[in-house]
Amino acid sequence: MELTKEIQTAARRLGQCLRQDDYIRKYLDALEETRTNPEANALETKMYAEYERLIAREQEGEILTYEDTREFFELRQQVQDNPLISRRNRTHRQIRPYVHQIAEEISFVLGVDYTPLAKPH
Amino acid sequence: MISHPGMTSPTIHIDPFQAAQLLGKVLSETPEFRAFFAASKAVYNDATIQKLSAEMRSHQTALHWGRDPDGVHTAELTRLELELEDLQAMQEYRATEKEVSALFQAVDKIISQEAGVDFAVNAQHTGCSCSG
Repeated sequence: MELTKEIQTAARRLGQCLRQDDYIRKYLDALEETRTNPEANALETKMYAEYERLIAREQEGEILTYEDTREFFELRQQVQDNPLISRRNRTHRQIRPYVHQIAEEISFVLGVDYTPLAKPH
Repeated sequence: MISHPGMTSPTIHIDPFQAAQLLGKVLSETPEFRAFFAASKAVYNDATIQKLSAEMRSHQTALHWGRDPDGVHTAELTRLELELEDLQAMQEYRATEKEVSALFQAVDKIISQEAGVDFAVNAQHTGCSCSG
């Protein structure tokens, strides 16, 4: 969709404000630190691969036992215990109510809820 | 000073709330939004739509509480939904909703690219703490 210059400028300005915000920056820093850390990266990749493998087995009709899922749950625990991943997830949880408040500001001006209309389907 | 839940004394360089208000104002003046707003009002003031919606809510409540052993509520809800979507005012509402949604999604893409975080996705209200 073609957007007017005025809309593009207003949208860009909001995005830039968010990026410069200390609160969002804490999350972006944590995200980057996790993304570039080989250990954290490998751990998450391994956990998701194991998860996909279990889902595929279930979809083929297999009934999984505790032993089958043990490795996944151990990996999940390691992921949760990883300090970088834990900080990323914590800061992500913290920005959500804040981002919600900002979106509410748009909704208030519009008189309709911005978020469900703007969310990619 | 803007309060950030769960954080202590952050420094704000530019106020995103003001930027959000400005964006809201700019969006409110677009033809897509005006058409959507008018269609929403028409739907809200349409007696037939309100009557059908009230009937639908009663069936949804029954389904919510698991009171549909013979499937009557499910069947009736489907019939009412079809009847509702068939109304002229509702079709106009859906068409304008599609247009405004395309506009807002394009706007949201710019915000998210600039911010480095998905804006609308993260703005969605959730009580879930499932991200770990």
